[in-house]
This record gives sequence, C-alpha cells and structure tokens, in this order.
Amino acid sequence: MIRLENVTKSYSADVVALRDAGFDIAKGEFVFLVGPSGSGKSTLLRMLNRQDRPERGAVWVAGRNIVDMPPGRVPHLRRNIGNIFQDYKLLLEKTVFENVAFAQEVIGRPKHVIKQQVPAVLELVGLAGKEDRLPHQLSGGEQQRVSVARAFVNRPLILLADEPTGNLDPATGEGIMRLLDRINKTGTTVVMATHDQRIVNTMRKRVIQLDRGVIVRDQARGVYE
Amino acid sequence: MLSRLRYIFRETFDSFRRNATLTMAAIITAAISLLGVGLTLLSQQGFDNLLSKWEGGVEMIIFVNAGASADQLGVIDTALGNAGTFVEEFTYCDAVCSLNEAQIVLAGEPGTLALLDLNNIPTQYKVVPTEGTDVELLRQLEGAFAELPNVFNVQFAEDQISLIGQLQDFFGFRLLLLSIFLLLAAILLIWNTVRTAIFARRREIEVMKLVGATDWFIRVPFMLEGLLHGIIGGVLASGGLWAWNSQWTSGVGEFPEGSGFAALVVTDGYDKQVMLIMLIIGAAAGAIGSGIAASRFLDV
Repeated sequence: MIRLENVTKSYSADVVALRDAGFDIAKGEFVFLVGPSGSGKSTLLRMLNRQDRPERGAVWVAGRNIVDMPPGRVPHLRRNIGNIFQDYKLLLEKTVFENVAFAQEVIGRPKHVIKQQVPAVLELVGLAGKEDRLPHQLSGGEQQRVSVARAFVNRPLILLADEPTGNLDPATGEGIMRLLDRINKTGTTVVMATHDQRIVNTMRKRVIQLDRGVIVRDQARGVYE
Repeated sequence: MLSRLRYIFRETFDSFRRNATLTMAAIITAAISLLGVGLTLLSQQGFDNLLSKWEGGVEMIIFVNAGASADQLGVIDTALGNAGTFVEEFTYCDAVCSLNEAQIVLAGEPGTLALLDLNNIPTQYKVVPTEGTDVELLRQLEGAFAELPNVFNVQFAEDQISLIGQLQDFFGFRLLLLSIFLLLAAILLIWNTVRTAIFARRREIEVMKLVGATDWFIRVPFMLEGLLHGIIGGVLASGGLWAWNSQWTSGVGEFPEGSGFAALVVTDGYDKQVMLIMLIIGAAAGAIGSGIAASRFLDV
C-alpha cells in the first residue's frame, strides 16, 4: 500500500528532516511512527499525502509514485487518504454533522449519500445524537472523534494520524485508539505519529522509529523504547 | 452537480456576509469607476451627435429653403459642379434625410423637432472640398453659394468642428483616464477583498485540500464572489447612468432653443448599450481581480 524508497528531505542545509528513509507498509497494517520532536515524523506523514515532496527518492502510495504526480491528480490521491490532527482542525462555525459532511460535499457527493453516510459514521465514532452541536460544545475527545469521522467518512484506503491523542487525557486517548483500531480492522491502513509511550506499548503494533530524519528501528509488534 | 452548485453559492454568499464592509467598498468603487466609463462613452456619443452632420469629410453645408423646385435645385447643382476645382464631391440630403438628421441633432429640443416636418424642413447640400483646398478659398465659396436663389443658409464646418473636437478630446481623455484609474482601484479592492476572504477561510481551505477538493472547486466561490462584486457594481453604475441621462435629457429640454446642447442628448437606446458595456467591464474587472487573488493566495 505504501512504499518509501531512499526518501530525503531537507528544509535547509542544516535541517535534514528525512535521510534515505525507506520502508514498505502493507494494506491493512497499523504502524506507529515514533521518535522525539523534530525527528521527521510529521514530515513523513506530509510526504504520504503529497503536502510535501522529497528532494530525492520515491513515495509509492496504492501503486503510484506520487512524487511526480501531476498537481491535478493530487486531489484524487487525497480522496483515498484520511487525515487526523492533534488540533483536530474542525471548522468552528459548522456543526458536527456539517464538519463531517463537508468532507463529502467538497468532493461532490450527492446530498442523499451525505444524509445516509454521515449519521452512520457518527454512530461508528459514538457521536450519534450530537449532530447539531458546535465544536466548542464538545469535549476534546469528542472533537477528535468528529475529526476521525471526517477522515473516515469517505472510506479511505489509508488513515494518517499526527499525534491524535496529544491533546487528550489518557482515558480519552485510549477511546480514540480503540476507534482507530476498529477502523484498521475494516481494512484501512493506519499510519500514526505519536509520542504516547503507553499507547504504543499497549497496542503492540509495528513501530518505525525515527531519529533526526533517519529510520533507526522498524519492528513488528514493537514497543516505544 | 446540484450539490456542488449549492455549495458554491452558499460559500459565496457566506463570504459576502463575513466581509460585508470590504465587499461594499469594492462594489462602490467598481460602481463609481464604471459610471465614469459610462459617462465617458455617453459624452463621446453626444459629441459624435454634434459632429454627425459633418461626417465623411463634409466641410460646408448649404441649406436650401423647403419647397425649392427641381429647377431651383438644378441651379445649385450647376454652381457646385462648376466649382469642381475646389469641390471634390457633394451630396444632396433631401427632406427625409434632413428630418432623420434633425432627430439626432435636435434630440434635446423636442419643441423645435415637433415643428419640423417633410414640408417645412430645409434640405441640404453637403460639400466635401478637394484635398489641399485652403480655408480662405472655402470661405470665398461659402460667400458665393450664399448668394444663390433659395439658399437659406451656408454653414462652414471649421469653427464648429475644431471647437467640438477640442471639447471632445478634453473631456474624453480626462474622463477616460479617471475611469481607468478608478477601475484599477476597483480591481485592486476586489483582489484585496477576495484575498481577505481566502485568509479568513484558510482553515477550511486547508481541510478542503486535505480531503481531496480540486483547486478549481476551491477557487470557484472566490472567483464568483469577485465576479459578483463587478456585476453588482455594473448594475449600480447602470442605475446611476440611467438617472444621470434622464436628468440630463430633461435638463437640456429646458435650455434655450438653439443653445447647441440639443445634440448632446443620447438617443436610439445607446444608453442601454453603454449599460451593457459597463456590466461586461464590471464582470471582467471582478473576474480579473478575484481570479488573480484566488490563484495567488490559495496555497494555504
């Protein structure tokens, strides 16, 4: 599903975000990216949805090298990738329903499909009955659930999560992880950058560790260390 | 398709609401500049009306009394023919032709126009001099033709044309320059309004990009917003132009007869054409301003 080949990315002569990074992620895998701040986790995630491009190397997603993908094709790539962020990136003046529907609306899904699929995904993330609430009327965990619902509503092949539990207390974070695990079990590949040692150690999924842009460990059923 | 259209219009009008002050400023500036363009075109048309009887290089018009017989006209024909060294060509404008011309030249003097008909309107000989014929010679010809029987009046173009031409250049150039500057200001304001709208919605745009919205899908509401600024400005300017033209037309009617302003009244629906032109220019200005902003600033 995902393959990186000798990917190098630097922001300046002194700041190398990724150096000769390479790995394969199979369809349906759940992978943690771990490492200290500035180790290149977020840069790597940005490469996978073509928000960023490497100076060198290839990034294969669903069988296509996306590094040289024409800009016009990028939106179609992103329709197969869901994104979850630490700060949720919800639209504050839109309701829960509207936030999730927005992801379908902007890719031209018909209204009747939106009316059918949004409640279903809100049910999945445990937000049934809160469709009309605004983000500020929700707890942090609930806001992140909205973000997960938005990322998953288009049934992406890949879910990229950048520190999704970073702003949440441990119990709420566990709830989000259970949700991501559930989504992963539907066949969606999940790649999650995290600092959360407890979660990594509990889940025992594949762990790719980065240090100053270099992959220093790639371990199946790994722990944080 | 329907859901996309609904989305585009909803986002466009939301943006109008959020940016109300800037939107109004952009629309008002666009309206004033377009009104300037419209007034320039109207005034040019007015001057063209004043000069219409001198079209085609005509330098002299011999007005003949209404009801002159064919023999009497023949005398004038012969005299003009004999002056072949100085007269390149001449055409006779009969009563129908003269009445049509009067509809334009006297548009602002309905009282005078109402008194004219095919039986009492003076007919005209329009004279085009040969190239190189100097003014002094033409003045001598003017004097000679004025003595012919049944000649009512001889008008000489030079004085009128040069004065009207100067006025036309003076007003036309300055009004056009002012309009262009204002139009540029309108484009910049529309550009800035759209840029602000994009900035205000940068979070939404980021999310849209991440979930796979195409650049055009994101751009269109902003471009539509700018387009609407221009079109609404054009509509307001058209209203202003209509009000101005109505006031001017009724005002000229109250001027003393023969004051020379009558021809400055614009007729034959030209004002409607100008309104259409203003709408098109407004739409183009809006599209340019918003198109540049949407292309330049959407990389959030």
